[in-house]
Amino acid sequence: MTRTVVEARNLTVSRGQTPVLSDISFEVQEGEVFALLGGNGAGKSTSLLTFLGLLEPTSGEALVFGKSVQNDIASVRGKIAYLPEAATLYPHLSAYENVDYFLSLAGIGRSRADVEEVFDRVSLQQEARDQHMERYSKGMRQKTAIALALLRETPILFLDEPTSGLDPVAIDEFNRLVTNLAKAGTTIVMVTHDVYGACQVAHKIALLRRGTLVGSFEAKNGERIDTETVHAAFAERAVA
Amino acid sequence: MSVIRNIAIDEWRYWRRSRIAISVLLTGLVLLVGSAFLTAIQMIDASHEREHLQTEAENAFLNQPERHPHRMVHYGHYAFRTPPPLSVIDPGIDAYTGNSIFLEGHRQNSAMFADRQASAGIAMFGALSPALLLQILAPLLLILMGYSAITREREARTLDQMIAQGVTSVQIMLGKGLALGGVTALLVLPLCIASVLAASEGEAVSLIAFFISGYALYLLTWCAAIVLSSTIMRTAGGSLGALLAVWVIVAMLMPRVSSTVATNIVDAPGKIETDFAVIEAVSKIGDGHNAGDPAFTALRANLLQQYNVDSVEELPINFRGVVAGAAEAELTDTLNQFAEERMRVESKQVRIARYFGWLSPVLSIREFSMKLAGVDLETHHRFLRETEKLRFDFVQSLNKAHAEKMTYLDDAGRSGDPEAEKRTRISTENWKVLEAFSFEPFPATDRVEASFNPLAKIMLWLIAILLLCRTIGRRAL
Ligand SMILES: Nc1ncnc2c1ncn2[C@@H]1O[C@H](COP(=O)(O)OP(=O)(O)O)[C@@H](O)[C@H]1O
Ligand SMILES: [Mg+2]
Repeated sequence: MTRTVVEARNLTVSRGQTPVLSDISFEVQEGEVFALLGGNGAGKSTSLLTFLGLLEPTSGEALVFGKSVQNDIASVRGKIAYLPEAATLYPHLSAYENVDYFLSLAGIGRSRADVEEVFDRVSLQQEARDQHMERYSKGMRQKTAIALALLRETPILFLDEPTSGLDPVAIDEFNRLVTNLAKAGTTIVMVTHDVYGACQVAHKIALLRRGTLVGSFEAKNGERIDTETVHAAFAERAVA
Repeated sequence: MSVIRNIAIDEWRYWRRSRIAISVLLTGLVLLVGSAFLTAIQMIDASHEREHLQTEAENAFLNQPERHPHRMVHYGHYAFRTPPPLSVIDPGIDAYTGNSIFLEGHRQNSAMFADRQASAGIAMFGALSPALLLQILAPLLLILMGYSAITREREARTLDQMIAQGVTSVQIMLGKGLALGGVTALLVLPLCIASVLAASEGEAVSLIAFFISGYALYLLTWCAAIVLSSTIMRTAGGSLGALLAVWVIVAMLMPRVSSTVATNIVDAPGKIETDFAVIEAVSKIGDGHNAGDPAFTALRANLLQQYNVDSVEELPINFRGVVAGAAEAELTDTLNQFAEERMRVESKQVRIARYFGWLSPVLSIREFSMKLAGVDLETHHRFLRETEKLRFDFVQSLNKAHAEKMTYLDDAGRSGDPEAEKRTRISTENWKVLEAFSFEPFPATDRVEASFNPLAKIMLWLIAILLLCRTIGRRAL
């Protein structure tokens, strides 16, 4: 028996005067990986911010566990770990210090062992973990940020372009990680313009173009969504 | 609550690891501690010096040989006042009015007719006092520490990461504010130490606590403004620019503007004009050294009639002494009128200047501080009035001796007759006319009450800024 965890119902969002999302609807079930695919400026990040209650819909609803986000922002934020786009952590702190601090802001304390374990899972180099992050490469920073999101241990993960800055090996590792998390019951909404990566992990893909959903794909019978099909649709419909 | 505390602690960690913040903070603290230390030393020194001078002046006066009393009138005497204990922190108006006054016949102390600029008592401070540092430098220091508190996070995109953890805008603002509050506590610490000295000098502890709270409130107002600027402004540069502009206007410009406006609205005659007016008024009064001055004809007639005699030589008292006393009384009366007018103008100017406290918390804290410390214009005026009374009584006691302790003939003929001259020298017993003078500041309760008004102005600023913060905080950062 699956239940709907994240749902957009005729969602319309404006930033400033211009509408950025218009009449978007989708559903994500528990343990599913949902990928929002679209070009730059399509409105992918905007969708996530709306579900976090940081932007208000002009019409329609953003629902988490069946409840409208606007009505209970605090409880929603407690259920969603969010990896911001181009997430940055403090360069003057080490990975440990960063993770400790940001977790404390979420009201969470994790043991050193827990943190170690998650750093292992994202394969952050052992010797770097105690160094100030100003020496980190883009990929290492991204790994630390992903680790931070994982350490929240929330039922829902929002990932905004999680693989940006990662090398191909790291991307493969990340994809495996996402698949495993979903198997364990975490609901994952990720935003990307990487068609191949999305098809690797997503159960559902929605194509977004200038704020409108222009296509959706679903994995059937435990198979992966066909990369070629999505790519063709993306080239044809999403970018323009 | 723990989120707010964690944000504040993190800000401190950032400061500790950033050389600039540490240097700024250390520089400020060194300046403050140094100034508190130096001012305290200066005050202790000055107070010893004053005691010494007071005794010396008294001894010198009392040790004068037997002589004509009028020579003692011109010899003069000093009156000193012990500065109030809190002037270790805020010397206020005393910084340029001084604490000693020379008392002599026919002349009021020069402070009564001080230069127009200084007399307004609102323009400048004499020294780099702890008060001045806290009022003007401390806000600058807070600005340098905190201008980028939020813009920095926004520009580095770590703000997104904070928000991702479910932290609200208001929590972030409060956390940053709390961090700056910690700096405020550090800045106020030297003030607390200096206050211990003030307490040991006899200032009421509750008043001192109120004094320190006022400063803390003032600095917290700046903290709130800094957080607000750092929230509204998109970039750190913009925030720094805006805050520095506010600082220049509020701390540099407004004090000038307030005193300029005050002196222009209430026009005070300049020193030279006043001097001429005084000379003119005084010239109409008879010369007390000349008993033959026509101005004293009526006085003579009255006395002759009162004692029922025909000539001044027959009077049982020395007419020349009577004339000296009468002339002094009339002169004092005239000079007092000028002095009162002068003080009235000054008070009016200061009242107008104080309205600018609504526009500048710097002016409000200055008023608050001077009133509580007892170094404001009102206290100074009272000091002038009390010393003037002291002077008048002192001179008149000598004039009384002049009238009663010698004959008119001896007094009038003393320049040609050594024997008569000898008889006009009166006993040194008569030099004991000096009253013990001790000037007390207004009672603590009065001073606290008087400082409510400027404190209210600061509080209004704080509340207004906090309300703005809350409005902004409702929106996403
Ligand atoms: N802070 C903002 N204020 C106003 N408009 C914005 C803001 N951020 C993004 N936008 C606009 O909203 C649209 C969607 O942006 P975004 O959701 O970030 O796209 P994506 O994540 O798909 O690249 C773009 O046209 C962008 O210009
Ligand atoms: Mg985006």
